[in-house]
Order: sequence, then structure tokens, then C-alpha cells
Amino acid sequence: MSDAIVIEGLTKTFGPKVAVDDVSLRIPAGTVCGFIGPNGAGKTTTIRMIMSIIFPDRGRIEVLGRSSAIESKDRIGYLPEERGVYRKMRVTNFLTYMARLKGVDSRGLKDKIRVWLDRVGLADAARKRCEELSKGMQQKVQFLAAVLHEPDLLILDEVFSGLDPVNRRLMRQLIDEQHRLGRTIIFSTHNMYEAEQLCDRIFMIHHGRKMLDASLREILARFDPRAVLVEPMSDDGIEAIRAVDGIADVVRGVGAGARNHVYEAKLEEGVEASAALARIAAAVPVRRLELKRVNLEDVFIELVERSGERPPSREELSDAAAAAAAEEATANV
Amino acid sequence: MSSKMLHVALREFNSTVLTKGFILGIVMTPVIIVLVVAAVGLVAALQGPKVAGTVAVIDRTGLGVGEAVAQRFTEEAAKAEAEQTEKALAQTMDRTAARFGSDEKQRERMQGLMAGRIKPLTHLSVEVLPPDADVEEAKAKVAAADAKKAPGSAEGEEKPRIALAVIDSGVVYMSEEGTYSTFDLFLAPKMDFEIAGRIEQRIREAILDARIAADPRVRASGMDPADVRALTKAPEANARTVTKDGERKTSEIASLVIPVGFMVLLLVAVMTAGQYLLTTTIEEKGSRVMEVLLSAVSPMELMVGKILGQMGVGLLILVLYSGLGMASLVAFSLQHLVDPMNVVYLVIFFLIAFFLIASFMAAIGSAVTELREAQTLMTPVMAAMMVPWILWMPISRAPNSLFSTILSFVPGVNPFVMMIRLSGSERVPAWQIPASILVGVVSAMLAAWAAAKIFRVGVLMYGKPPDFRTLVRWVRMA
Repeated sequence: MSDAIVIEGLTKTFGPKVAVDDVSLRIPAGTVCGFIGPNGAGKTTTIRMIMSIIFPDRGRIEVLGRSSAIESKDRIGYLPEERGVYRKMRVTNFLTYMARLKGVDSRGLKDKIRVWLDRVGLADAARKRCEELSKGMQQKVQFLAAVLHEPDLLILDEVFSGLDPVNRRLMRQLIDEQHRLGRTIIFSTHNMYEAEQLCDRIFMIHHGRKMLDASLREILARFDPRAVLVEPMSDDGIEAIRAVDGIADVVRGVGAGARNHVYEAKLEEGVEASAALARIAAAVPVRRLELKRVNLEDVFIELVERSGERPPSREELSDAAAAAAAEEATANV
Repeated sequence: MSSKMLHVALREFNSTVLTKGFILGIVMTPVIIVLVVAAVGLVAALQGPKVAGTVAVIDRTGLGVGEAVAQRFTEEAAKAEAEQTEKALAQTMDRTAARFGSDEKQRERMQGLMAGRIKPLTHLSVEVLPPDADVEEAKAKVAAADAKKAPGSAEGEEKPRIALAVIDSGVVYMSEEGTYSTFDLFLAPKMDFEIAGRIEQRIREAILDARIAADPRVRASGMDPADVRALTKAPEANARTVTKDGERKTSEIASLVIPVGFMVLLLVAVMTAGQYLLTTTIEEKGSRVMEVLLSAVSPMELMVGKILGQMGVGLLILVLYSGLGMASLVAFSLQHLVDPMNVVYLVIFFLIAFFLIASFMAAIGSAVTELREAQTLMTPVMAAMMVPWILWMPISRAPNSLFSTILSFVPGVNPFVMMIRLSGSERVPAWQIPASILVGVVSAMLAAWAAAKIFRVGVLMYGKPPDFRTLVRWVRMA
């Protein structure tokens, strides 16, 4: 499979701040790639560089086989993080203008816009001025502006923010549909749930550095916590669990788990998870017993936290900021 | 030009022109001006109120001035007076037209317009009271009169006395000090100013005739009082300018008005389009639509497209207003005052001035997020736009002075200076026109180059509005 985007040694600084630091990345064509990272990690900067809206200090970007996005702008659909529409323009006119700028032929464009507006439930809004729409509606209009020209590559920056649950689902469906049409999709998000739902690949940056770049399956395997979540009938059961064969340690669960007396039983190296579950169930009466499954949020937090412990050479610029970010991430759990 | 630029330019043009604000502000303004002028003309043409009544005269001169006044209030005299006024007015108009160099046809047309406009003042009669009549008593009747009362009220009804003139002999005979005294004129309340003026005029003329007739020297010479009056009338000059090519009609007023017309036209077109460019750029940035646009077009395409779109707006304003100006000149047969070549220069200098201003506007618009933040950066631009107003008088009075010549090569003001000079009365040395255009083109290109750099950096910069030093840094950086 060819690569939709190839990035090598990408670096961008804004004054003293290194926004993106020597990032290399390949995004295979036809994949849905989640671009995650905490606030200020450099996601939007990277995306803007991919879009050739800003230019890197160093590094090479190849988009859809061309040396820059400028040469393939018409084949890219872009939904920027900062939403914006012409307030006074009517929805249809705005979409027509954007499509024309992207080189769409004017013939049949009106119908196409009508069909799309209908699909996202904005048929009534066609004649309205953009300023009359709600934020969520404007976002859907912007999404249409990004897909109307049937791009091969779709870059969606924070596409789910500001949408209600119904529209989030609609947006997931639309992205999924674009995926099935064979389009390469990159979307940045804070929302790990959506990333897990949609992505083939996950790419994470933190402090401008690449932290993770793997398929979802690989990530789930690599970050498998190898632990069992158990809630014994009484707290006395903990010692019994600890005594079960193949259990290395039992710790109190974190977050909501701590309040609900959920414990985490770590498995020893090489122990079959299903066998361990059976043995725990036999040893103590439990209210709840399940294999702990990795989720992206844990991976995200773990990576962010780990980054705070890196040697100082890598953290010259924003040690304190890293700690603060890690703290915040932990506090949010 | 790429098709994307064209789309940007078209949107820019449409979104500016197809708004209520533009249509009302730019298109309706000349319409409103025309309507107001027409309305003023219409109102002026309306007749004053018709007044019927008597003018009482107490003549204490014993020279029959009262009868002479009465003579002037007869119907025939009133008609003759109206004809006389019309003739005088036509002469004045002829002279004015000659100054502007109107042609014969135009003069005839204007006279046709004025013909019959001067209505004789009738319905007034004179009542000569005895010289010893009581002034207070006579005045009381005037005070009781209603000057606005409609004429033709029931026959036989006593006509109201609307004025009373008291003429003493000192008005006709020179005193020992060599002066004449004045006469008293009492007017009824609510009297129309025009009618009052004409009553006064008739009495004054009667007195003047009486004076001339009473003068022993005139009597001795046997001259007709009318000849004496003709002798004392001051002549008017028939002014012409003498040039190497021959004589031409002088138009001092035109040589000031036409240049300011061109300058204002240029200024209005440039500033209006420039302001629109600033506003739309700030709107695009403020509403964050900028980044979506930049995913489709390059900053350079966007900026150039926007500038071209607003150039269309400026040209539209130029065409509308200059068309209106030309139409009114043609209507008065004054089109010869404007050299057609100047219209070509107007377009050339518009383009130069516009690209210069538009570059500044695009740069400022891209650098700020709100119109409010643009104010400080706009100050020097606005100040530069005030300069033509200050320069207008000195330049149009001395178009080829050293001062004017130097300013013709100062970037920023040179389009305006050249427009004032070119449309003025003196011929601008031929080499200065292309030289000034060259200065203008180079400065506009430099400004556009710097603006493109600021624009590229500025469009995605949010937060604290930059100062001038920051803008210069952006130019160096990009």
C-alpha cells in the first residue's frame, strides 16, 4: 500500500518554543489515522504544515505523492480546528464557493450540495445565512465544505468537539463512510473513545515529539495491562486473591474503581489470563470479575506521565509544563 | 491569473457590492444628490404667494414721486419690469456661461428654461395719501392687514393695505452735507420677502428718477433721466485667457473645481474600496474562515484575489461617479472642460493609488483580529489620505511650481498630486507623467511585496495585535 502522507524529520519552532520536534511519520493510503496528544502537543501545527499553511523549519513532507500539499490541495479536504464560515453568506453560496475554490465543476454542484445538506439534516438551512446556524450546524456545514470535492485525503482537526451525541454518531458514520470509499482520513482528537471506535492507526505526539505510532491492534497488544479487575464481596478477600497462583500483586483500583472497592490483580509473566480468572473465581466470592482491557486513555495517560520522567536532555524546554500536563491528565482520571 | 484568484475576486466583489449598505451608500448617494438638487430647483421655481392689496404712499416731496410710484404699479409697468428682469438675468447667465465656455445652443437652452419664469407682480395698486396724512393712522391700517390673504376676495371689499412708504423731500434733494436721507417703508406682518423686495425696488427706482429729474445740472443739460441711469451702470468684463495657441475663454472657477473633482473622485474610489478590503480581511480572520480558505488557496492567491475584487469595486465607484459627473457636464455643455485623456489618467492613477492603499489595508487587515485593533495601524494611512486635501489649493493654483513637481514623485501622494495637476489649467511637462506613473507603479509593487509577506504571517496569527516594528519583522522573516 502506498503512503498518503510521508513526513521526515519535521521541525517547527515559534520563537523559543519548539512546537514540532523532529517528527517522522508514514500514513498508509486508505487508513483512518487518529492523531492524539494533549493540548499544545503540536497536533494543529503538524496538520497546518501538512496542509502547507505554515512551513516547517526543517524536514520533508510528501502529501499524496507530491512534494507539498499546495500541489494537491484540490485532493485534500480540510476541517481546521478553528471553525469559520462567512457569517453573512448563505449556506448554499458558501458551500458553492468552497467547492469552486477546490476546483469542483459548477455543473451539478447545486444538486450535490442539496443532497449533502439533506444527509446531515440541514436541508432547511440551505437558504439561511451562516450566522443563523447553531455552532453544531456550522460545524456540519464545514464538514461538507471539506468533503464536497471528494478528496482522497481528509484531514479533520478536532472534528467531534462541540457536537451533541446524536451528531457525534452522525459524524462517526460519515467518517466511516468516507473510509469505506477508500479515502485516507486523519483526525485529531482528545476523545479516546472516538479514536478507538474509528482508527486503524494511532499517532500520538507530546511536546512536539512522536510518542506513539502504531496500528490500534498493535497498541492493544503492546499495552495489554495483563491484569484482572476484581471486586470481592468483602475486603477480606484481598489476601486470598493475592495467594492465588499466578497473581503477582493486588492493588487498589484507580479512579472510580477505588470508591467501588475494585482491585487490580496483576498477572505474573507467562500466566494464561483465562486460567487466572477461573482460579480467582474459585478462591473468593466476587461481585465482579473481568479481564482488564487496555484503552487508549490509559495508554495516553501512561505515555504522557512517562514523558515527565524522561532524562533532562529531552526536556530542556518545558519540564514544568510536562509535569503540569501529566498532573492534569492524572487528575482527570 | 488562476481561476482560484478569479473565484476569490468574484466573491469579494459580489459580497461587497450586493449588500444593502453598498447599494444605499454608494449607488444611492448620487441619486439622492440629484434628487435634492432637482427638488431645490423645483422649490425655487415655485411662485411666491399671490398678494393683493394696496401700497400707500405719503409723498412729502411735492415732486409727484407718489404718482411715479403708482405708475410703476400699473399692469403694463409690471410686465415691462418682468421683461427687464428676465433680460438682465439672461445677460448674467450669458456672462457666466462665457466664463465656462458654453456653446450657443446651451445658452439658448438655458434661456428657454428661464423664459416666462419671471412673473410680473400684479394685483397691487398704489394709494397716494395726502402729504399731511397722519403716519400713525396710516400705519395702523398696515398693521391690521393680512398679507397672506388670498386675492380675488369678494368684489368691492376693501383691499388690505400691505405697505406704507413715507417719502420726505430729503430723499430726493441732496442735503448740504452732500447726502440723501432714507425713506420709511412699513410692511404688513407675514409679508413675503420677495414681494416686499420688489415693492421696495419700485419705490427706489421712482425716487432715483425723481432725483435725476430734480437735479438742476441734468435739467440744464436737457438729458433724459433714463440716459443718466444707463451712464452709471458699471460694465462687466468679457474675460479671456491668451495663450500661444490663441484665445480661450477664461474659467478660473473651472480650473479649481475640475481638479478637486478629480481628486475627490480618486480619493473616494480608493478609500472606499480600501476600507472594504480591510473589513473583509478582518472578517475572514476574525470569523476564522481564513484557515479553510488557505486550505484551498495560497495566501498570495487569496490576497491578490481580494485586492482584484475590491479593485472592481473601486472601478465601479469610479465609473458611477465619473459617469455622473460627465453626464452633468454634458447636460450643461461643459464637457470641453475635461480633457478625455484625463479620464484615462484617472484610471491609471486610480490603479496605482488603489494597489498602494490596498496593500496597506490587506497587511493591516491580516495582522489584526478586530477592526478596533486596526485603528492604531490605520492612523498613518488616514493621515496620508488627508494630504491631498491640504495640497489641493496650492497645487491647483500653481500646478507647475517646484513644490508641485517634487510632490508628483513622492510615493503615496503622487497619484493625487498628478491628478490635480493634469486636470488643472496648465500643461504638465510631458516627461513628468510617465515618470510619476513609474514612481507610482514601483511603490505599489514594493507595497504589495511587503504586504504579501505580512499577509502570509499575519493571517494565522491571533492574540495581541502587532505594532509597526512587529510588522517590519514579519516582512524580514517571511
